[in-house]
Amino acid sequence: MIEVLVAASIITASILAAMAVAQKSIHVSRQSFHATQAVFLLEEGAENTRIARDNAWSNVVALNSSETVGIFTRTIVASNVNRDNSTKDIVASGGSADDRTKLITVTVSWSEGGSTIAKTLKFFISDIFS
Amino acid sequence: MKKFIKNKMPDRALDSQIESKALSGGYTILELLFYIAFFTTFSLLVINAIIMMTKSFKETSIYGELAQGGVIMERIAREIRQAENINSIGANDLILNTKGFIDSEKTVEFKFVSPNIQFWDAGSNIGNLNSPNIAITGLAFTEIITAKGKAVKVVLSIYSNNDSLARVQNFYDTIVLRGGY
Repeated sequence: MIEVLVAASIITASILAAMAVAQKSIHVSRQSFHATQAVFLLEEGAENTRIARDNAWSNVVALNSSETVGIFTRTIVASNVNRDNSTKDIVASGGSADDRTKLITVTVSWSEGGSTIAKTLKFFISDIFS
Repeated sequence: MKKFIKNKMPDRALDSQIESKALSGGYTILELLFYIAFFTTFSLLVINAIIMMTKSFKETSIYGELAQGGVIMERIAREIRQAENINSIGANDLILNTKGFIDSEKTVEFKFVSPNIQFWDAGSNIGNLNSPNIAITGLAFTEIITAKGKAVKVVLSIYSNNDSLARVQNFYDTIVLRGGY
């Protein structure tokens, strides 16, 4: 009978492990799906910034917005860009501020299983129409 | 047989052996109760695990199907991005002026015919963008006119036909027409 008990215990442990994997798979699938939705929201944030730029550069200069779309929260923030005085390359520090270029940071965050997940898209946008 | 054994062993030794066998080979009612309880619990656990795993598999496949919404949205976004102009736009229908191979002018159309999205290329119905296990509950287009061009906001709502709860999921995107610059 001891053998049966040991075998039953091993099978139980295996089933419990499989159950945990199954639970985790739901979590991963849901998270992956939400990430797919978030990618389009990020893209939309970038395109909205482009639309704002196309209408007037002044719309982009002080861009700092936040909105809620379903379970997602999207923020769009514009920050200053500096360029090297001689090479005119964008630099992280030093150089001179380029008023006709901005660094746009789009962040989409949502709550998933008790923790907050955030996806970020960063890109530079220039005033090409003034 | 008994006679044979009796001849080989003394009576006292035989009685002792029978008594010992009875003690070691049988089960008490307490043992039986314990084993029944153990196997009942074990069976419940196994059945619960099987139900749980079946649900998990179904849920995972539903999310896999819903992810097709991303593919549909990507196709719509790509066509809008490379379009030159909007030919016509309705709440559920979008026709774009675009270019085909060797720069020939043509139109592409996304038409919501519940529960499907039809894709029309140069006036021909190419087929549905969604697979049969995905139902489209809404496809809305909104035109945005900027100082320098045009953009289209798209909202796509879908659910899986395998989902008994019919949970609707939305995809949002806005795309600027690059050909319009």
